[in-house]
Amino acid sequence: MATPVSVLRLPKGPVPNSRGFDPNSPRFIALCRTSIPTSAAAQSDPEQLQEEQHARSVLRERFLRCLLAMTNKKVQFHMHEKVNVEATFGASDIDVLNFQVSDLHTPIGVQKEALIRCQDVISFTFDV
Amino acid sequence: MQCDWLHSGPQLWLRCVHRQVRLRTGKQEEHRGWLLTVDPVSHSVVLLSFREDGASVRVVMGHAVKHVEVLQEPDQDMAERLRSFFHPPTTVSLDPEELLRRRLAVCRWLQKNRLPVEEDGDELRVAGVLTIKAPYQPEDCCSSNQIILDRIQRLVRLQPDPHLETIQDKLESHPLTDSRLTRT
Repeated sequence: MATPVSVLRLPKGPVPNSRGFDPNSPRFIALCRTSIPTSAAAQSDPEQLQEEQHARSVLRERFLRCLLAMTNKKVQFHMHEKVNVEATFGASDIDVLNFQVSDLHTPIGVQKEALIRCQDVISFTFDV
Repeated sequence: MQCDWLHSGPQLWLRCVHRQVRLRTGKQEEHRGWLLTVDPVSHSVVLLSFREDGASVRVVMGHAVKHVEVLQEPDQDMAERLRSFFHPPTTVSLDPEELLRRRLAVCRWLQKNRLPVEEDGDELRVAGVLTIKAPYQPEDCCSSNQIILDRIQRLVRLQPDPHLETIQDKLESHPLTDSRLTRT
């Protein structure tokens, strides 16, 4: 299963009007509708808002460190319809909508570089 | 914390961190592990599980999480293991003299590259937008501007070893041979 295959589909280029966590960018609205806004309680109380923001930043930092720990490691992606593929993790985009991977082992061969859509992934595992 | 997982706030998620949870992703698929974090942007749940030959991390995407249940609190040992899991490697503490020498070396290198840098206590402040903390390595640069951060990090990485002071440097620092002073 080590036959390299040519690129089947080129990845989409970056959208020029998306910046960070902009919830109004068309890409975000189209793809990432489930992102949570500030809770109603926190909106009215600045102290609670600060607490919520602190919680968000702690959680996000830990998640980013997890992604960092994953770079250049072999990761198994468990996708829909019981599809499991292995690849070397490269990077994620800021909204965690796509993962860039190398050496993706698929049933039809090895893709040298690929973008995996996070909506297609149920979970992924790696060893530490 | 069951089906409203997606809608619970970050504060609830933070409270569940380091606890053992059972997570269902629908279709009778269940995962168990120690909760490391929940990403507030994608709601992905990061679970850590230990095996005999090591540990593995499973990240379940937010859209696939159906049901989460807290099973147990960690004991002292486990809590310590979880706490130290993603911490950056602790820096070796250097003596003040070595830190001063390094700080001055980095300061001189940046000035040589025509960058405005000033000392602010133990830190270096570059162009008013970037701070370099001890021990003044590329990883110790902090800035809110990504482009400047990248440039300065590259520059600090390229800094020649101060122990290998070249003849060029010696000539430049001498008032009689400094080309900057004798330029017409």
